[in-house]
Amino acid sequence: METAALNSFSTRLFSTGHRAIARQYFFLSLFAVLAGMALSLVMRFHLVFPQAGNDVLTPEYYLSLLTLHGTLMVFFVLTLAPLSAFANLVLPEQLGAEGMAFPRLNMISFWMTAIAFALLLASFFATGGGALSGWTAYPPLSAVGAIAGPGEGIGQTLWFFSIGVFCLASLLTAMNIIATVLDERAPDMALMEMPLTCWNWFVTAILTLLSFSVLLAALLLILLDRFAGTSFFVPGGLLVADEAIPHSGGSPLLWQHLFWFFGHPEVYIAILPGMGIVSEVISTFSRRPAFGYRSMVWSTIAIAFLGLLVWGHHMFISGLNPYSAIAFSLLTMAIGIPSAVKTFNWIATAWGGDLHLTTAMLFALGFVSIFVTGGLSGLFLGQPELDAYFHDTYFVVAHFHLIMGIAALFGIFSATFYWFPLMFGRMLDERLGKLHFYLTFIGAYATFGPMHFAGFAGNPRRYPDFTTFEFLGQVMPLQRWITGAAFCLASVQAIFLWNLFRSMRHGIVAPDNPWESSTREWNAAARY
Amino acid sequence: MPGTLTEPSLGPPPPIEPVWPFGDGDNSDHDRPNPGNARSASITGIIVLMCASTMTFAALVSAMVVRRGLNNDWTTIGLPVILWWNTGALVASSIAIDAARRVLRRGKRTLFNWLWSAGTILGTGFLAGQIVAWRQLEQRGFYVSGHPSTAFFYVLTWAHAAHVVGALLAVIYVEYRALRFQLGPGRRTLVDASALFWHFLDVLWLGIMGLFAFWA
Repeated sequence: METAALNSFSTRLFSTGHRAIARQYFFLSLFAVLAGMALSLVMRFHLVFPQAGNDVLTPEYYLSLLTLHGTLMVFFVLTLAPLSAFANLVLPEQLGAEGMAFPRLNMISFWMTAIAFALLLASFFATGGGALSGWTAYPPLSAVGAIAGPGEGIGQTLWFFSIGVFCLASLLTAMNIIATVLDERAPDMALMEMPLTCWNWFVTAILTLLSFSVLLAALLLILLDRFAGTSFFVPGGLLVADEAIPHSGGSPLLWQHLFWFFGHPEVYIAILPGMGIVSEVISTFSRRPAFGYRSMVWSTIAIAFLGLLVWGHHMFISGLNPYSAIAFSLLTMAIGIPSAVKTFNWIATAWGGDLHLTTAMLFALGFVSIFVTGGLSGLFLGQPELDAYFHDTYFVVAHFHLIMGIAALFGIFSATFYWFPLMFGRMLDERLGKLHFYLTFIGAYATFGPMHFAGFAGNPRRYPDFTTFEFLGQVMPLQRWITGAAFCLASVQAIFLWNLFRSMRHGIVAPDNPWESSTREWNAAARY
Repeated sequence: MPGTLTEPSLGPPPPIEPVWPFGDGDNSDHDRPNPGNARSASITGIIVLMCASTMTFAALVSAMVVRRGLNNDWTTIGLPVILWWNTGALVASSIAIDAARRVLRRGKRTLFNWLWSAGTILGTGFLAGQIVAWRQLEQRGFYVSGHPSTAFFYVLTWAHAAHVVGALLAVIYVEYRALRFQLGPGRRTLVDASALFWHFLDVLWLGIMGLFAFWA
């Protein structure tokens, strides 16, 4: 009896069923987002009460919090939930397939991701301090080891290994999705007949494939710098802690090129799946087919393609050749065109439709709003002259939190409310859902909107204490407001958590096709 | 040894049985109704893997090109002669493996075993030769911890060798099954996928050799 129970537990834990793996990814992301949010609250509290707990929350510890927050959110939330969780949940059925192409690899991908997550947590608690180089881990300090100070020893090493394992897992997931789309589709479904969600997951998987492989190469080089004494990213004559570093001939800019070749597409890896989800949700709840299907597909491809060519706009102030900067700037601006096509199509789909303002629909509409707001500030940052001022200020923090963080999270919320019946066979509470949406929507703007003004005032990011700088005195009231709004925003997420865990057990049992959707995952045979 | 077992008579081709992990494992949700999908998915999976590896190597080579352009301190290393022998071994191994793949399609399983074994031995020889080349370079004072111009050679050849080790494991697994006559015209997905990746490594190596012989 006990053996049977153990076998059953093991089968569930190491399940190769795509829905089970989707739930595993979902809960891993949920844990990561809660941890990341808690870290951000500690940082926000410290920014407005820098004297409180100063003996524990040292500047280095603040940077460790910042690093873990960024890494958790970018890799373990924004990469995992929209792609790995929801693609696993419905991609095969939407394609009319019998499952993912490689079920065992799928399971292995998840457990590699879980190992990467454990390594990341270990990096925070490592002897000598948690990794503190930020999610970008810029060398040379991150490349020379413990001599560079607290957090640059074991903590940073574990961080690199964590991201390396995560890269491998993501590549396996991308491989699975690409093979599933190309080879497992129902014979009667042409590529140009796939639901937009599938197109977005497919393009995101290709983007993952192309960009994570480059990050893997960069990680290999930086680990060799740390352990084999190579000098890829460490320049000659570097003095650290009054000690000459015995490296020569490296260039920290090499890392920036390699990292941002991954880092910028990563933004689209986070947001493209959300665009697909929003397209489907708006179409379903407007009771109309998505407007401009072909233009939606081609704009997805265009965004991904252009996204691979604009990494240099993260390096405008790194001494980039001005002609390169112009090219990167023009390409960055060009991304606005397919993005605008998508936005107009979403509005056109809803325009005049039979709107059903369910929670999923509200989050989808909220996504459009946040995406436009976050995208507009991107137009400023994409210009070298303006970026010279805004670089490393709270304007950038506001921009990427809106466009990459909150917009993607709205996509995740929309997908959760929409596909919850397929995940757990029950419905989420709509009244609580709507309350959660309105409060989150207001809270997101209240938190990240004022950060633009802090950026205008030249407020630098990554500083643990603004009170020591006289010129930042004027932004403190704004920072206090932001902290208050952030705590409110975080608090209202309790409504979602309550709704989620309560509905898993006690929610209304879901009917066959609760949203009267036209996609295949709702066929009775494909139900949970 | 190849050919020591009696070749069983060829009946109707057995159903395709893709092998872990590039195939239809026990998908607990569904039974796959169309084995053809599994075969094409396996080939797609390998092609995707090749794309990922290409990007990784492209990133390493780009870093090398950019680094070389930053300063006028680039030094060239004279390639050890054994690298040319290694190149020959890898190309020969690729030819043997491709010939094996073709004869398997025609059902000549004993000949397949011989050819595949030859490819495996040549591939192993390539790896052994690479180790000798690294030793020779170290004896001449070119260490990985030296200047980036030297270090990039080691990184690219190590990364390639790591790929070869992975591919060799697959090739040896094919060998293991082939010697038991478990492969045939209707059961060759693993063979085709392994051969495809092996050829990719061959082309990749020719690119690396070309880079260091004529440019770096």
